[in-house]
Amino acid sequence: MPSRTTYRGPGPAALSLHVNGQPLEAVVPPHRTLLDLLRDTAGLTGTKKVCDEGTCGACTVIVDGRAVYSCMTLAHTCEGKSIETIESLSASGELHPVQRAFIDEDALQCGFCTPGQVMSVVALLRAKPRPTEDDVRRAVSGNLCRCGSYTGIVAAGVAATRRAPGRTAPKGDTER
Amino acid sequence: MSPRVVRTRVEFEGEINDELSIIDGRDLPAWRGALDVVGARTPRVDGVARVTGRARYTQDVVLPGMLHARFLRSPYARARVLKVDASRALAIPGVHDVIHRTNAPKAAFRGEETIFRDEVRFAGDEVAAVAAVSDEALRDALRALVVEYEVLPHVADLEEALRDDAPRLEEKGNVSDSGKQDRGDVRKALAQCEHVLEATYRTSTQLHNCLESHSAVAHWDGDRLTVWESTQHVFGVREGLRAALRLPLSRIRVLCEHMGGGFGSKGGVGKYTIAASILAMRTGRPVRFVLDREEENLAAGNRSATLQKVRIGLRRGRIHAILHSSWSNAGQGRWVADPTGPTNSLYDLPDLKTRSYRVVTNAGSLSAFRAPGYVEGTFALESAIEELADRAGIDPLQLRLRHLAKKDPLSGYAYSDKRLRECYEIGAREIGWKARKRGGAPGSTPDRRRGIGMASQIWGGGGGPPAYATVHLNPDGTVVARCGSQDIGTGTRTVLAQICAQELGVDVDAVRVELGDTDSPYGPTSAGSLTVASVGPAMRAAAADARAQLLGTAAGILEVTAKELRVERGHIVSKGTRTPIKEIFDQLQNYTVIGKGSRFPNPERIAIKTFGAQFAQVEVDLGTGEIFVEHIVAVHDIGRVVNPLTAASQVQGGIVQALGFALTEERVVDRGTGRVLNADLEAYKVPTVRDVPRITVRFLDTPDRRANSTGAKGLGEPPMIPTAAAVANAVANATGVPMRATPMTPARVLAALGAR
Amino acid sequence: MKPFALARPATLAEARRLAREATPLAGGTDLLGLMKAGVAAPPRLVDLTGVGALRGLRRERGRGLRIGALVRLAELEEAKDAPQVLREAASLAATPQLRATGTVGGNLLQRNRCWYFRDEAFPCWLKGGARCFARHGENRYHSILGVEACVAAAPSDLAPALIALDARAALVGPRASRTVAVADLYQAPREGVRDEHTLRPAEIVTEVRVPEASLARRGVYLKQMERKTWAFALVSVAAAARVHGGQVTDVRLVLGGAAPLPWRAREAERVAEGTALDERVAAAAGEAAVAGAQPLEHNAYKIVLARELVRRALLRLVT
Repeated sequence: MPSRTTYRGPGPAALSLHVNGQPLEAVVPPHRTLLDLLRDTAGLTGTKKVCDEGTCGACTVIVDGRAVYSCMTLAHTCEGKSIETIESLSASGELHPVQRAFIDEDALQCGFCTPGQVMSVVALLRAKPRPTEDDVRRAVSGNLCRCGSYTGIVAAGVAATRRAPGRTAPKGDTER
Repeated sequence: MSPRVVRTRVEFEGEINDELSIIDGRDLPAWRGALDVVGARTPRVDGVARVTGRARYTQDVVLPGMLHARFLRSPYARARVLKVDASRALAIPGVHDVIHRTNAPKAAFRGEETIFRDEVRFAGDEVAAVAAVSDEALRDALRALVVEYEVLPHVADLEEALRDDAPRLEEKGNVSDSGKQDRGDVRKALAQCEHVLEATYRTSTQLHNCLESHSAVAHWDGDRLTVWESTQHVFGVREGLRAALRLPLSRIRVLCEHMGGGFGSKGGVGKYTIAASILAMRTGRPVRFVLDREEENLAAGNRSATLQKVRIGLRRGRIHAILHSSWSNAGQGRWVADPTGPTNSLYDLPDLKTRSYRVVTNAGSLSAFRAPGYVEGTFALESAIEELADRAGIDPLQLRLRHLAKKDPLSGYAYSDKRLRECYEIGAREIGWKARKRGGAPGSTPDRRRGIGMASQIWGGGGGPPAYATVHLNPDGTVVARCGSQDIGTGTRTVLAQICAQELGVDVDAVRVELGDTDSPYGPTSAGSLTVASVGPAMRAAAADARAQLLGTAAGILEVTAKELRVERGHIVSKGTRTPIKEIFDQLQNYTVIGKGSRFPNPERIAIKTFGAQFAQVEVDLGTGEIFVEHIVAVHDIGRVVNPLTAASQVQGGIVQALGFALTEERVVDRGTGRVLNADLEAYKVPTVRDVPRITVRFLDTPDRRANSTGAKGLGEPPMIPTAAAVANAVANATGVPMRATPMTPARVLAALGAR
Repeated sequence: MKPFALARPATLAEARRLAREATPLAGGTDLLGLMKAGVAAPPRLVDLTGVGALRGLRRERGRGLRIGALVRLAELEEAKDAPQVLREAASLAATPQLRATGTVGGNLLQRNRCWYFRDEAFPCWLKGGARCFARHGENRYHSILGVEACVAAAPSDLAPALIALDARAALVGPRASRTVAVADLYQAPREGVRDEHTLRPAEIVTEVRVPEASLARRGVYLKQMERKTWAFALVSVAAAARVHGGQVTDVRLVLGGAAPLPWRAREAERVAEGTALDERVAAAAGEAAVAGAQPLEHNAYKIVLARELVRRALLRLVT
């Protein structure tokens, strides 16, 4: 007799995965999305909830190296996987070059889509460290910006790799 | 000098009003000479918070014991609510409270006594609100609510509501007067014209789709109500809560540190804010109320669809007369964003008649949407002018120049400053207007034609009182500047830091700007392109006050007269010696310098306006009807540019939103049921990165010293105004066919081409 | 989303067993949307993504190109071994994030995008209701060809491309396995058949195979959208043919977004077959493609689009 796969749920079930390099153990029902797990269970509110149906890109996170919509991903299908959110990029206190470039190129206005845009660009740069403008456009073509900061976003994506990584934020420029 | 009351003329969203306001102290003369902080490209002071995800928005607020709330919304476009039975919903574990028509306390909201009407008037109208511990319990509760409706006849479409046989939604009918202007005798003048163009324009309902939906978190501690709200006006929300809940203002605090876009739709208290507050007070637990995307697109406002009829006549190479009538689908809204504003005020036109009508329908109410009325009206007006000019063989830019108004056509007042002619000149050069030919040019493939078009922009943006600010100078030379304004993504926090730093004599990095808190001095709504021109001068005055106090203190310590001192980059400078501010304070006991500033009235009998022009180059695929916008040139005259970096972003953003209005965005409503079919971000299409062309942004950047002490005017709305008309004109130039409806989808373009 | 139980098998045998009582879940980009909208509420899901046998894309000598059902659109888009028409179709679908999640099998089996179908509040015919709301309602995105009881349009980008390559799909059911032409996965919903797909209960698509002969075809995929990216096709067309000595043979023209199922424009294929494609032939084929079209109130423009895209796609094959 081969081993029989068992069901989890419909109630809360144990789940373990890695979030930003740390193990995360949670007990959540199978219908919980990765987005809600990150925001509500892990308290990582940098990832934004906008449409909750895969039509805006604000909830983009990196799962095992790939940028995906966390609202269209079930938490339990991420069992054992490695999740990176916006919070991981500046965990050391230093801005990621993409974040620095977003500030310098003014690639944001209200900032609500920004964490998702940044994660899409970060995923691109890992695959292609010296992207063209068109590469950046393609990479963020699944991230809406209602403020219309796209020109700055593309400029930031191209400029990011020209920056020395780990440049610190100017003093007094942290929590405003 | 003690506070005093003054009368001032303020323009807001196209409406001009005289208002009383209180000012304190003395206004500053406008800046002269070169400035180093104001005018410098300055990265956003809250950039780090926003790119790291640390910026806390309303939906990120988590309080201990917090409940979640949602509305049950009417599935019907019009119905009487006969009965709401909440017993099954309340029996669900985790459900704490349900409020509805019969058990909710009275709560005044927009002229009504309650947030739950007896007659629901659009699909999505609020019927009940539930508070529960989890989303799951909420959803189960909403399904368990039993509501008896008596369904009534409805009409949701603008043109259907105009018909005689349409259901009559209000006693006086569905149509009401909402604005008129008459100059000269239009009928007679039209009869004298050599060319008369008669055209009907239609614009579709545009949905704001702020990425952060409307949301509030309410916390009642038994004494004071604290509300976090995604809003453009914390003081407006406070006033709305006061009226609804009858609490004294001292017991309401509204906070909005960061917010994810408003575009006009977050101007005050919402039903969700009131419901969250009532539920928090009833349950004794904090309540988070966040609209989902569908609700956002049903019940959080929109730009009215319009039907506009224009008759415009030419005589001896000049526009001789214009008749412009407009009908706006206000939904259940009680006002109209008047599309005839640009016709009334943009050009010097002797014979003019405009009419604006509000049409009530069973659809979600309009709300202000970035240059409300002016985007729609400019589309009609500027399309008509360009088509008329082409018909008569006159260069459309020349025709506009012939009607350049030297004074404000409405008031007869002189302008504080007007540089529209220079906007035209720069824009025409950048786009290559001289090469424009009637009938367009060949495109990059045999299937495509290329064309260019243009449009003008007029808008207010002069701001005015009331607006107040305080500047606290700390002993270490750092500064906390406060104002009850908010940064809705426009860069307000950064611009105010620059103004404060410039006037006070410190680095931008030394200034922390605290916004979005009703415990601060009053700040106006972040709307109407008024923030920089209203709050900026108040902030400057507060910084000047703080500087004067600092110099007085320093003079005592340095044993010189204050007149010999100045503040420069955080140092007190006197005859070549530079003393850090901190060293001055080190010699004192703890002491905080508090500067106060207010916005002074606008000058009497002067019209303060912003102007601009945009030019578009497009290609049109004649086989598929697809429009490829290649280049937009935007030239805007907004007085002094405080931060060229964030200002350029605002122009880019306005154009992108306008491209959505022009090309892709359209609410679709099922006529049979009145339900919105695309209350989502899939079928309602906002522009993506691929929809954005090359955009050239130019500012004249000349301080308007008569407008206010900063010389700066507003920029939030102007860039959105002319884009759609410029693109439509470019498409018309390319194809030879006028484009009289937005959005210009392949279907509409093909239909227009087919009708040739 | 209604709560459900989730199983995550590691083998095809287990998945097959579980699929008897559970709804298969692959990338989830369509199914989760339906569940969030309340249109689907399966009590049990079986997550197929752990089944290695459903992965992998490779050329097999003499047996064409094998594409595992779980191959993601992003992989297909990058696959050097895959025919151009298929890579183009994959790259024009959705967004990088959705292509990183969505699978070939899921793309083929996605439900239609009709806004009445996807709104829980409309008891439309396809969902078991009495009538089609779109037929006399807002139908700008709906079908012009091949309509029976439901006017929704086939949304997949991959399906037209795979059909143009005569691809076949392998299916496993609880007891039997079978292969069918990809084209035969689809049907126009009609009286007694309220489904766009022909899968039998509990069947799973395991792979799609492009036959060796088709790999020699040239192909092109054109997609007209309402914005420049991230939209379902107003109309799309996949064209493929052998181009040899100035002549085209084995011409395939398949329309997306135009009919309730991916639509073979057979008349148009016949017009082009065996000719040296020129402007005249291409235009005639375009006309033939829409000869039987019956527009609804708001979608007549799709006839223009379909005609034009067929013409252009054919010309692209020979230039």
